[in-house]
Amino acid sequence: MMQKLEKLLMPVANILSKNKVLSAIRDGFLITVPITIVGSIFLLISNFPIEGFLNFMTSIFGEGWDAYMGRVTAIAFDCVALLGVLSIGYCYAREKGLENRIGGGVVALVCFLIITPQKTIVELEGAAEAGSVSGFTFTFLGTAGMFLAMITAIISVEIYAWAIKKKLIIKLPEGVPPAVMESLAALIPSAIAMVIFFAIGIIFDHTSYKYVHYFIYQVLQAPLVGLGKLAGFEVIYQFLSTLFWFFGINGPAVTNTIFAPIHKVLTVENYEAAQAGLEMTNIFTAGFSDFFCNFGGGGSTLGLVIMMAFLGKSNRMKTLGKLSLPAGIFGINEPIIFGLPMVLNPLMAIPFILVPVINTIIAYLATVVGIMPITLGVQLPWTTPIIASGFLVTGSVMGSLVQIVQLVVDILVYYPFFKLLDKKYLDEESALEGQTDEIDDLSFDDLGLD
Amino acid sequence: MKIVLIFDQGLAGAGGKTNPNVGLTAVKGGIGSALMLESHFAKIGATVAATLYCGNEYFLNNQEEVIKKMTAMAKKVNPDFVVCGPCFNFPDYAKMAAMISASISENTDLKSCAMMSVENADTIENYKDKTPIVKMPKKGGTGLNDSFSDLCDLITGMVENSSDLESIKNRVCY
Repeated sequence: MMQKLEKLLMPVANILSKNKVLSAIRDGFLITVPITIVGSIFLLISNFPIEGFLNFMTSIFGEGWDAYMGRVTAIAFDCVALLGVLSIGYCYAREKGLENRIGGGVVALVCFLIITPQKTIVELEGAAEAGSVSGFTFTFLGTAGMFLAMITAIISVEIYAWAIKKKLIIKLPEGVPPAVMESLAALIPSAIAMVIFFAIGIIFDHTSYKYVHYFIYQVLQAPLVGLGKLAGFEVIYQFLSTLFWFFGINGPAVTNTIFAPIHKVLTVENYEAAQAGLEMTNIFTAGFSDFFCNFGGGGSTLGLVIMMAFLGKSNRMKTLGKLSLPAGIFGINEPIIFGLPMVLNPLMAIPFILVPVINTIIAYLATVVGIMPITLGVQLPWTTPIIASGFLVTGSVMGSLVQIVQLVVDILVYYPFFKLLDKKYLDEESALEGQTDEIDDLSFDDLGLD
Repeated sequence: MKIVLIFDQGLAGAGGKTNPNVGLTAVKGGIGSALMLESHFAKIGATVAATLYCGNEYFLNNQEEVIKKMTAMAKKVNPDFVVCGPCFNFPDYAKMAAMISASISENTDLKSCAMMSVENADTIENYKDKTPIVKMPKKGGTGLNDSFSDLCDLITGMVENSSDLESIKNRVCY
C-alpha cells in the first residue's frame, strides 16, 4: 500500500516542486519573509500585549512613538504585493535561466506599477466634490494586489525572457563595458513587456472593473483565499506536508507552492483588519500554521524528542533524544527525521502524519470556542520556541497554554509508538550484547593499521 | 549477505549539525538511517553487520586518519559489500563517502560504492571513475525509495559479478 501511495504522490510532488511558475511564486514569497518578520517585530513592540508597557514606552519616547514604528510595519505589510512582484519576478527570471535576474525583477515591478492606479480619490474637507491626488495608495500595493502581483511577475518576465531568447536585443560592438552591454540588452525586452502592460491597463480602464486589480481580486483572489477560510484548509495542508515528508520528500516545499500565497494573504488580512479597527477573522494564518500545528519541526516531533531524551531506555533513543532536544525546541528536527529515522519508517508513520493534524484541530477548536484569541497578522521566525510563540502570535497567555496542552497530547499520541521503537532498539542492543562473533567489540582504538 | 554502512553523525543518529566533531565510532548492526535501508536490504537477503561513522568536521580535520581507519575497519569486519552513504546533498559527508569508497576499492578486495545527490558535482566528477557512485535525490527530493532499489540492484550485481553489471552501473550510477 505504501508503495502504491508513493507512486501516486511522486508525480504530484514532481509536478508541484519542479514547476517553474509555482517554484518562483513560492521562493519569491520566501524572499519577503525576513521583511515581514522585521515588520512584525515593530508591530509587536507598538502593540505589545502587556499592560503598562505602552505607557512605559510613551513615558520614555513621548506621545506618537508608535507612529514611527508604523512606518516600518506599513512597508512590510501594506506593500506586500510590491515586494512580492519584485521578488517573484527575480525568481522567475532565475527559473527561466536568465543571467540578468534583477532585470526581470525590475521589469515585473514596473509592469505592476503601470497597471496600478496612480491617482487616489480623496474627500476634501469643506469641498463639495471629492478631489484626486497623484500617487499610489497602500490599497493596491498590499494584500488586495497580491495575486495580481504574482500574475504580473510571471507574465512580464515570460515576455522579457521570450524577447531575450529571440535575440530581440540591441547588439553593441566588442569592447563595450559589460554593464552597459547588459543594460542595453534589456532595453527592447523591457519595452515589449511594458507596452503590453500599458495596453492591458488601458483595456481595463474601458471595462466595468476599471482596474486590473479589481478584476483579479474578484475573479481569482477572493475565491482562492475563500478556500483558506474553510475549516478543512489547514488540516489538508498539514496532512499533505507530513505525508510527503514520510516518503523523504520535503513536504512544505511541495505544498507551499499552492498554500503559501493563501497563508500570506490570510495573515496580512488580519493585520489590515486590526489596523482598520475591524475584527480579525482569519484563523489559518502563517503564525497559526507554524506555532500551533507543526511546532518542533515536520511531524511536530517536540513531544517525541522530549520522551526520547528523558524516557528512552535504549542507548540510541536516549543519545539521539538528548542531542536533538536543543534544536527541537527551536523547531529543527533534521537529526531525528533521518537519524531516528522518521522517513520511510512504517512504525512511526501514523503518529508522524497524525500529530500535526490533531494539533490543527485542537488549535482550531480552541480559537472557535474562544479559549484563545485569533492569531494576529504578525509573522515570527519559525524557530521561535513554543510558549513564547503562542503568547506573541495571539497576544495572550492562553496561546501559550493551548501549546502546552498540545504538547501533552502530542506526547500521548507518540507514546505507544515511541515505546514500540524503543523496545525494538533495546532488544537489538541486548541481543548484540549477548552475542559473540567475529565482529564483536568493534573499536577504532585497537585497530591495527598495517 | 553482510553489509557495512559508513555514515556521518547525522545519519547515524548521533546528532546533526550540533555534534560535528564526534570521533570515529563503530557499532555492530545498523543504526540511525539504516532503518530506512533495511527493508530494501531484506529483499536481497542482506543484513547490516556494522555501522561505522564520524562527524563531518572530525573528517575534515583528520581526513587521512579517517580514510585509513575506516578502510581498515571495513577490512576487519570483512562484509560482502560496503555502502558509503546515502549522503543526500551533504557536501562534507559526500566527500568522505567517495574518498572512503575509493580507498576500499583500491586497497582491499571488498566491494564498495558511494551514494549521493547530483548537487555534489565536484565530488562526483573527481571520484566517479574510482568507485561507483549511486544516484539519489537531495534531502527532501523525490525518488528516495527508488534510489534505494537502485542501490540494491548494484549491490546484487557487484556481489554476484552479474553479466548485467555494466548496464546496471550505467543506469544507477553517475
